[in-house]
Amino acid sequence: MDYHWDWLFFFRETDDGLKYYDWVLSGLGWTTLVSLASLAVALALGSALGVMRTTPKRWFVAIGDAYVDVFRNIPLIVQLFMWFFVVPELVPDRIGMWMKQDLPYVVIAVVGLGLYTAARIAEQVKAGINSLSRGQRDAGLALGLTEWQTYRHVRLPMAYRIVLPAMTSEAMNIFKNSAVTYAVGILELYFQYKQIIEKTSQVLEITIVVTLAYFALAFLMNRLLAFIERRTRVPGLIVGSKGGDVA
Amino acid sequence: MSDFDFSVILENWGFLAQGLRYTVQVTLTAMLGGILIGTVLALMRLSSIAPLQWFAAGYVNIFRSVPLVQVILAFYLILPMVLQMITGQQMPIGAANSAYFTFTVFEAAYYSEIMRSGIQSVPRGQVAAGYAMGFTYGQTMRLVVLPQAFRNMLPVLLTQTIILFQDVSLVYAIGATDFFGAADKITQRDLRPVEMYTTVAVVYFVICFALSRLVKLLQSRIAIIR
Amino acid sequence: MIEIRNVSKWYGSFQVLTDCTTNVNKSEVVVVCGPSGSGKSTLIKCVNALEPFQKGSIVVNGVAVEDPKTNLPKLRAQVGMVFQNFELFPHMTITDNLTIAQIKVLGRSREEAVNKGLKLLDRVGLKAQAAKYPGQLSGGQQQRVAIARALAMDPICMLFDEPTSALDPEMINEVLDVMVQLAHEGMTMMCVTHEMGFARKVAHRVIFMDRGAIVEDAAKEEFFGQPRSERAQTFLAKILHH
Repeated sequence: MDYHWDWLFFFRETDDGLKYYDWVLSGLGWTTLVSLASLAVALALGSALGVMRTTPKRWFVAIGDAYVDVFRNIPLIVQLFMWFFVVPELVPDRIGMWMKQDLPYVVIAVVGLGLYTAARIAEQVKAGINSLSRGQRDAGLALGLTEWQTYRHVRLPMAYRIVLPAMTSEAMNIFKNSAVTYAVGILELYFQYKQIIEKTSQVLEITIVVTLAYFALAFLMNRLLAFIERRTRVPGLIVGSKGGDVA
Repeated sequence: MSDFDFSVILENWGFLAQGLRYTVQVTLTAMLGGILIGTVLALMRLSSIAPLQWFAAGYVNIFRSVPLVQVILAFYLILPMVLQMITGQQMPIGAANSAYFTFTVFEAAYYSEIMRSGIQSVPRGQVAAGYAMGFTYGQTMRLVVLPQAFRNMLPVLLTQTIILFQDVSLVYAIGATDFFGAADKITQRDLRPVEMYTTVAVVYFVICFALSRLVKLLQSRIAIIR
Repeated sequence: MIEIRNVSKWYGSFQVLTDCTTNVNKSEVVVVCGPSGSGKSTLIKCVNALEPFQKGSIVVNGVAVEDPKTNLPKLRAQVGMVFQNFELFPHMTITDNLTIAQIKVLGRSREEAVNKGLKLLDRVGLKAQAAKYPGQLSGGQQQRVAIARALAMDPICMLFDEPTSALDPEMINEVLDVMVQLAHEGMTMMCVTHEMGFARKVAHRVIFMDRGAIVEDAAKEEFFGQPRSERAQTFLAKILHH
């Protein structure tokens, strides 16, 4: 094989004065920023949708279900392109101009990735709430709590604990999916990966490094969520049981 | 609000149809190959032979931790190098062709987790019954466990395939022309992003929504049978 | 205190309650019994509007339950309920279980709520478990906490939906003892239960339901001594052999 290994290329200077490893770190930074911001958006919106889909009000359920159906059946890259190219044309002219000229790409990426992931989180939250016994809601209502109060104090706290493993998986997914935002101008890790290959053709070294970087991110999210799971664990309970007697 | 002109779609529908066909081809190839390889990986992971277990676990963990776009680009570049190493000749693989290999290998990791869950959902008693009748490991798996595992997990496998269908859009990264790529290329030439991308979104939605409803129907049928 | 008039309920086309009429007066203890599927749990859940009903009316302390203008949370705060599966909130400590509704619904201060909660906990003999989680308690202990949780709201009446049916036999008495004491203190109680010993001890009236209808509604002595309907007789014969 006439491939020329050269691990030291990371320390060579690029044409904008930085070293190549700077590019990698910068990409890492953008990936983390976009991922965490999108995760925040997705958790907030996804929880709201998940709750909406379990209320007795049919309008809410319909809206929640429709949202999930739309955002889960269109590829992420198509959704990002919609936000980037199509939405500015559909809104009133002034807003459209602002979107095309002044709105930072990051915002579009976070909105796109966030709304995409929210649909998946809505599924998890709905499943979590529905897995609780009906009695929990009844007991809350019987004490005089409103429907909303039962969600806030009784059902959501338990539902989140139940779906924590699935949430961990979604958090790890969002870091991977953030790579797609390169297509709308975000200079995250995958973008840097592409750039470095184009400039140096040291494909194997950079592939190994970037793979390890994504590994590290996934591992960190996993550990973070395991930590959260330990801290929120309810003593004496196997998560998800229906309140029968435990001797 | 600019005026819309959907004639650009009608003029180019042939190219779009070609792109869609490519998407479907890659999806089917990766589904069949992926489930095959995935099943083997699942068995390896559940076996008691340590090196097999490690290899399978490593394979699955790596491909599930890395973004698909990166794998697509990496394979596109590395595959020719590997082939050259093996055959000693220059074998240029086009972007379009490399995707068949890439998606099969990548999706196998996901299918393998589904099959592993399916195999584990078959009661232990079934395996015991198989052995008691004198079956070898291979026969027990092939005749007793895998058919049941496959049937139990069919809805999940199909759902993963719908995800795969959407994932093929990422060949954009290497310039291959799938359905989305076709729309993108047309837009670059004819400049009607709103009409093109909206159409793409709608078509994807209709196809995937319909397929997911079918899967749900299938799920309720299976539930009744059980 | 509780007036049930001609209540009928359907699940779709299936009728689960047929023209039920009865009442529970202040300080009365009424036991509702009957075979499974007779609608007794459904009826009791209609009293605090956990289950809607299509026909008839239920008036609790002067408030019509089925009136769309009724403030249901306010009504439910006055009606205590104890469930078959205890339904303590697993992610909260015992103390928090006792105080959350006091604070969120009655607006009591945390200090006030905790004091009340601990006093009631002591009354049911579980003061030492205040900081524990429900999952760490036995079934009988959980149910006693559930009773305390309902009492913490200073209810005007208490509804019990098969409170001992999910308990192992050796724990039934600890819960029944609490309920007996409650009855002796003059609490208005409506209990769905199979525990006829309890009924004989403290009930004033016994209602027998079968297939969604109230078949018999008599004073305790009359019910146990000389039940009028044949179905009640057969039911009693089967039950009292335990």
